[in-house]
Order: sequence, then C-alpha cells, then structure tokens
Amino acid sequence: MTQYNKPLPEITLLNEPFWEGTKAHELRLQLCDDCPEYRFTPKDVCSTCSSVNATWTPVSGDGTVYSYSVVHRGPGPAFQEDAPYIVVMVDLAEGPRILSHMTGCEPEDMKIGMPVTVVFEDVTPEITLYKFRPA
Amino acid sequence: MSDLRQAAIVGVYMTEQGGLQDRTTGSLYAEAVKGALEDAGLKAHDIDGIIGAGPEGAGIVGDFTDAFGSPLRFHAQTGVGASSSSAGMGIAAMAIAHGYTDVVIVPTASGGAVHPNAPRRGGGPGGNPFEYIWGTTRASDYALAARRHMHDYGTTSEHLAEVAVAARKHATLNPASIMGERGEITIEDVVNSPVIADPLHRYDCCLVNNGGGAIVMTSLERARDLRKTPVVMLGWGQGFTFYDPMSAPTLTSFGGVMAADTAFGQAGVRREDIQVAGISDHFSIDVIIELEDAGFCAKGEGGPFVEGGALQIGGRLPTNTDGGYLSGSHGAACGLYTVTELVRQLRGEAADHQVPNVELAYAHGTGGAFQGQYSAIFARG
Repeated sequence: MTQYNKPLPEITLLNEPFWEGTKAHELRLQLCDDCPEYRFTPKDVCSTCSSVNATWTPVSGDGTVYSYSVVHRGPGPAFQEDAPYIVVMVDLAEGPRILSHMTGCEPEDMKIGMPVTVVFEDVTPEITLYKFRPA
Repeated sequence: MSDLRQAAIVGVYMTEQGGLQDRTTGSLYAEAVKGALEDAGLKAHDIDGIIGAGPEGAGIVGDFTDAFGSPLRFHAQTGVGASSSSAGMGIAAMAIAHGYTDVVIVPTASGGAVHPNAPRRGGGPGGNPFEYIWGTTRASDYALAARRHMHDYGTTSEHLAEVAVAARKHATLNPASIMGERGEITIEDVVNSPVIADPLHRYDCCLVNNGGGAIVMTSLERARDLRKTPVVMLGWGQGFTFYDPMSAPTLTSFGGVMAADTAFGQAGVRREDIQVAGISDHFSIDVIIELEDAGFCAKGEGGPFVEGGALQIGGRLPTNTDGGYLSGSHGAACGLYTVTELVRQLRGEAADHQVPNVELAYAHGTGGAFQGQYSAIFARG
C-alpha cells in the first residue's frame, strides 16, 4: 500500500463506532432508540424527537445521488494530484445524506438521482474510508 | 417608531483592498476606524460600543480600548461568517435605541499573508472530519448547491455568469475595486474560464484578498448634527437553518427566507420598491439563491430573473454596484463592504456607479456555505 497522504478523519468519542464499522466494511449509523430516524453525521441528539439515545446499526449502503461536483482545484497538493475528483452527496436509502467521493464513474456519466452503493477503501491499517460507485 | 429606526449609520470607510501582504491587520484596522470616524465627524473617544473584534482579534475586546483609549460599555458578535459584522448592525441599532450605547464602531480588517490554497477545516479541532477527508473546498460546497439548483430548476451556467458579468461591469465603474482595471467580461468569458469545482468556473468564484473597513452608528437624533446624511435600517433579520451540510434539508434554499421575511415585514416595504441591492456573491450561485429566498422572484426563477443584464445598473435590480466580492473586494468580514456601498448609494456618493435617486436599498449577507444569513433594508434617516 502506498503512503496515504491526505487528511485522515479525527476519531472522536462520538464518531468512533462509525469508523469501527467501516473497518469491518460495514456502514453503520446511529438509529434513534425513540423514533425511526437515522442520524448522520454522528450527533448527540435526534433532530426529529430530541432523544439522546441511539444504537449503531448497519445500513444498506445503497442510495441515490443528491448532488455532486467534479473538483478541478483541490485544497492542497495531495488532493490536487487526484484532480479532477468527484465529490458526491448521497441520499441513503435509510434517509440520511452523506458526503463522499464517487469511484468507478467518469465525470460525464454522473447524474443526479443515479443509484449508487457504498465501497470501502482501507487507506491505512487503522482507517477505512467509504466511497460510492454506480449501483 | 421601531427600535431600529432610532439608530443611524453616520460614517463609513474602506481602506485600499488587494494583496496587501506588507500591511498588518492592525494597521488596516486602525486606518478603517479613523476613516469611518472622520467621515462621521466623530472622535475615537466618542465610541462606547463595538460589534465584532478589536484590532488584535482577542476574545475579549479590551484590545480596542488599548488601541483607541475608549472604554466600551457594549459589545456583540453574530455568527454569520463573513457577514458577522454587518449582521451585528441590527443588534447595534437596538442597543442604541435602548440606551446601552451611544456610538458603535463596526470594524473589520485582514492583512499579511493570504493563502488561497490553504486546506480549509484542515483537520484541526473544530473541522468536520466527514467533510475535510474528501478534499472539499468552499467552491465545492457552493458547487453542490449550484448543481442541484440546475437539476431542479433548469438554471444554466449562463445564468450564473450573468452575476459575474454584472459585478465586473460595476467594478469597472468603481476605481476602488480590485478587478475593475481588467475591464468588462462577457458571459462567454465566464463559462470559458477554467473549471474550479464543476459547475463553477473561475469567474463564478470570489476574490481572495486583504483589506479593511469600518462603519460608525449612533442615534438618529445625534446623527442630525453630524456631517453626513444619516442612513437608517428599516428592517433587519437573521436566519440559520443548518450547520453540517449533510443536515441541510435542501441545498437550494436556506435561512435567507426567514431573514428577508423578518426584515421586509418589519420595514413594511415591498420587494419591488427596492432600487439597489447588495447580495453576498462569494460565488455566483449565492446571488441567484438569495434573490429567490428573499422573495425578489419565485423559487427556481432566479436564473431567468438575472438574464439580460438585470443586475446591472440600469437593469431591473442593480446588485453589487461596487463590484461585489467577485470583482470588488473579498477581504476580511466583507459583508461590511456591501453595507458601505449601499450607504454611499443612499447618500448619492457612489460617483460613476451611482444608481439614480436611491430611496430604498437591500442588503443580504451569507456566511459560511449558506449556514448563516441576514437581511437588512436601508433608507435615508
């Protein structure tokens, strides 16, 4: 594995279970214990019912493209090497919206509403990132 | 009479704008404060209130007192990003009306090194790791909104370009603008400029520069005895609908709806009575979305609204008549420049970029990537 030279996520008490999930190649989100809402990004409280209780729960990893941008000018040299890259906002089947990268798709083939599914990339021994590809 | 109308803007000033790597933030700040006071005909020791930070940016604003010798009995700060200072003017007006302060300074400044390519939210504390790991930029944040707006409403790159073309046209009429000397640009120039974050091209993106400015406010009663025609706020409002972009209900409408509805409701004026506007143009899509959210046109009709030079002086709603952030200046808390230009328009001081006979002006400030919004309506006092 070549050295991963981009910023890695800061692991916090709140988001650690999410990154444990990706390491197991599973997308896990907080499911509210008191109403049917999932949360993302990780939150201490449910924006629907204000519950502070949630259980980390595996989700399908399927969704549709809400929006995207083909980025030609990245923030700093590490991202610039990869430019153009596709930043995508995905509406997960379970509800939450998630920002990520598209992989396995040419910029000209990107469409809002297209079905996508999650893939995992082990970028360091500790961190696995999640991306999306056409479903 | 509403609280807001008992206070007035009595002094405005902008320093030179540009790279300014050889000037410190403190020197620009000091020049801006002195300039605004001189415009008003007031002295530093008249100031007893402040919106925003002192010259050193300390968390407690006593550094203003250290610098100017003026003890402060009022301080407030809002969370509207680059429009925080200008948004705070509403709070300043209320504080003046209720006797908490007599003369308020609203300053901003930024000098020294500018790093336009510096990683934003670069992984340090406070950054959202679910964003920065993807190499997002401010441009890509706004690009996601632009792409979705295009999908939902048929907005085109040419519509976005209209915003940039109008801003540049106005910059050519304003000697203080940064890009004016480069001359006018066409819609083709914008859509053919390099892609930064699709669908946004270079000319859809604001400048990155330094500069400073300040505004002085006092009671309308005291303003009557000062040098310049007082300008009052008829209405003011704020709106905040999300922070984490993944929590935003939509990327095509934001807190500008609440901000503008509050401001217009208070002012008791109609959208169609506004003769000149200053609307945050961090990116061209911002202006189109805020025109819609503020009710100048229906949601989705911002593209057709700006067609045919509608935002240019002589058009339907002259907007960003100083050149805006796209072609005028985008230094420090630049929301202050938007208000400065509208004050000059109302005073009739805008020289070659003057809109004739301005009675009512509208300001709209966006902070972050649409997270914070404020609106204000101005008239002569």
